[in-house]
Amino acid sequence: MFGWNGKIAKVYLTEKKVEIIPLSKEFLIDYLGGRGLGVKFVYDLVKPGIDPFSSENILVFSAGPLTGTTCPTSGRFATISKSPLTGTIFDSNSGGSFGPELKFAGFDGLVIFGKAEEPVYIQIHNEKISIKDAKHLWDKNTREITRELSGLGRVACIGKAGEKGVRFANIMNDYNHTCGRGGLGAVMGSKNLKAIVVRGEKKIPIFDEDRYKKYFQDISRLLVASPVSSKGLGEYGTAVLVNLINYMKILPTGNFRFSQFDFAEEISGEKINSTFPIKKTPCYACPIACKREVRDTEMEIPEYETISMFGSSCRISNIQTIMKANRLCNDYGMDTITAGSTIACYSELNGEQLTDEELLKLVELIGERKDVGQELSEGSMRYARAHNKSNLSMQVKGLELPGYDPRGVLGLALGYATSNRGGCHLRAYMIGPEIFGKPKLVNRLTFSGKSGLVQVIQNLFTAVDSLVVCKFALFSVGEEEWANILSAVTGMDFVSENLLEIGERVWNIERLFNLKEKFSSIDDTLPERFFQEDGRVEGRNIKKDEFLASLLEYYRFRGWDSDGVPTKEKLQQLNIQMQG
Amino acid sequence: MWREISKFGKKMVQCGLTHSHFGNISVRVGNKLIITRSGSMLDEIDENMVVELDLDKPSSFDTIASSETIVHRHIYKETSALAIIHAHSPFAIVQSMISSTNLLVPTDCESKYFLHEIPIITGGVGSRELAQNAANALKDHKGAIIKEHGPIAIGKIVEEAFVTICSIEHACKVKYFSDLFLRGKG
Repeated sequence: MFGWNGKIAKVYLTEKKVEIIPLSKEFLIDYLGGRGLGVKFVYDLVKPGIDPFSSENILVFSAGPLTGTTCPTSGRFATISKSPLTGTIFDSNSGGSFGPELKFAGFDGLVIFGKAEEPVYIQIHNEKISIKDAKHLWDKNTREITRELSGLGRVACIGKAGEKGVRFANIMNDYNHTCGRGGLGAVMGSKNLKAIVVRGEKKIPIFDEDRYKKYFQDISRLLVASPVSSKGLGEYGTAVLVNLINYMKILPTGNFRFSQFDFAEEISGEKINSTFPIKKTPCYACPIACKREVRDTEMEIPEYETISMFGSSCRISNIQTIMKANRLCNDYGMDTITAGSTIACYSELNGEQLTDEELLKLVELIGERKDVGQELSEGSMRYARAHNKSNLSMQVKGLELPGYDPRGVLGLALGYATSNRGGCHLRAYMIGPEIFGKPKLVNRLTFSGKSGLVQVIQNLFTAVDSLVVCKFALFSVGEEEWANILSAVTGMDFVSENLLEIGERVWNIERLFNLKEKFSSIDDTLPERFFQEDGRVEGRNIKKDEFLASLLEYYRFRGWDSDGVPTKEKLQQLNIQMQG
Repeated sequence: MWREISKFGKKMVQCGLTHSHFGNISVRVGNKLIITRSGSMLDEIDENMVVELDLDKPSSFDTIASSETIVHRHIYKETSALAIIHAHSPFAIVQSMISSTNLLVPTDCESKYFLHEIPIITGGVGSRELAQNAANALKDHKGAIIKEHGPIAIGKIVEEAFVTICSIEHACKVKYFSDLFLRGKG
């Protein structure tokens, strides 16, 4: 087999047993890898209604057919499980070098079952997998764990937040790369699994080297030609967005009460570049190199989302404070968007403007699940609901919204509402067409034409998450180029339509999982604040009737009924078997 | 200033000098540069479809500007231009592809008088190489043709650059047909 290894390892923690099973060619053609592979396993193996923290939940780590090759931005892997934050199926992918190493060891993925009696870590060296005692690693944070285990290979681990069940705990790999958002680190913690360390020496075979080189050059050229990837992200990292999004008047400020921040310049990419000596720390095989840290101190430069949530949304204008909050989150292994948004919700609910010191203290208390941090570690939805102020939680399906105010980007508003993992920008990054003009600039202040576009981009992003390559490459590289290079690597003929169909298949399976978990069209919505008259920012709110019309149109584009349920015909077309 | 850009954006498309989605227009005002946004359509430019940039210092706003911003910036730095138009005019592209030299000499009387000669330059989209080659060529020419890509012209006002783009396309069209006729004859 080319590209893929053609096998995964099932690790049974309760029984301390490992089983290696082959993956069929047909399965791989239908699901590719990464998100697709993991979603299929979770859909098939996780029973509806189970507690995400129970031993019945599973946790999948999966790479894709391009992972481990030199294909630009392909050094990624995905994690998939049922989320303790949202209750939905949840995938999250990360860069660094862990994913390629898993491929070099000979696996396309790992599926973790059960719960270890005591803390353990999994060591993989080529095809040898051992479950090892991790009592000495417990109660430690991620930098320390990574340092301690890095002699054995590439490390993915959890910090104290994952151990203690913070509902938005992350899995961290290669120090500061993150499987973020939905709390899969807490799922890992609930299984008493502290870390996975992997080392491999295998080379990923490529079917047609000559065609591969040609398509590699096509992709590289497109990445250079696009100012977003070559100049914006390459020069400023994702912090490039701060001034731009503020200028567009969609920068969440004060828990989405405002959409412009007076001190945006102070927390911008330009400010960071002029303040700190920067060192780029690119992911494996990535020419964009958006990941950055301060030279000498190794302090991570926060991503835009982190800056917007801890910065403008909490109205903190000191970039050093935001960097410290980011470091704390990375070390405890926690999602910065949910942490920042939950603190912004706390701040509004209590009518307090937090000082820099108070913000940092709250982050620490969440990581330790102590005092008020215990409540906040449940995320903003549960926190606000417990205080009878549900309207102050800026979330969809329990997942906090990221750094783009949907009142000023209506395609993204629809994307948030219909996202299968809750309030997320990365299911369909409509900032591409609505702000950057990639692939084509569209009017951001209308729902017109967005329903079809959103679902196509969702399908494409799902396929890209299954390859697994970086979404930032999509600013310049389209499905045709990915299909070409995938064909050259695997020796199978993929065209653009195949990728979009795979994306659609996986998207529909995610929808079916969520429907079985009692989610419905009622959950395909936005926080009420955005619809209310007094929720206007810059004179804008979202007209509910227009939103609902757009949602219905979206269902029709998807081949779902008016309740948002996939029709039998659609499932047959996608070759999806209904479970249960 | 966006109105001026919008006016000539429309004219460019109406005259068939470029298709709606291709090309870019900028104006220099002091140390600022106002340029069409990436992905904008030249016949639908409004105030939201242009972006103001610092001439000397790239910023995060470069990411939403035309992918040829680097070329415009370089030309402004090295010439006295106050306006630039880049188009994807078909006959200019064809001539740049079939010409055996890197200097195109018009055959019609007015173009000979107005343009003298048209340099053909090379360089990838949005590349430093193209930026340098364009700036060099436009130091002593009103316009040039980027090989396999399209003409680029400068002026003190947008209209002047527009006239040059029109002239280049006219010269290339006349030359194409006259060469075709002569080849058929001989």
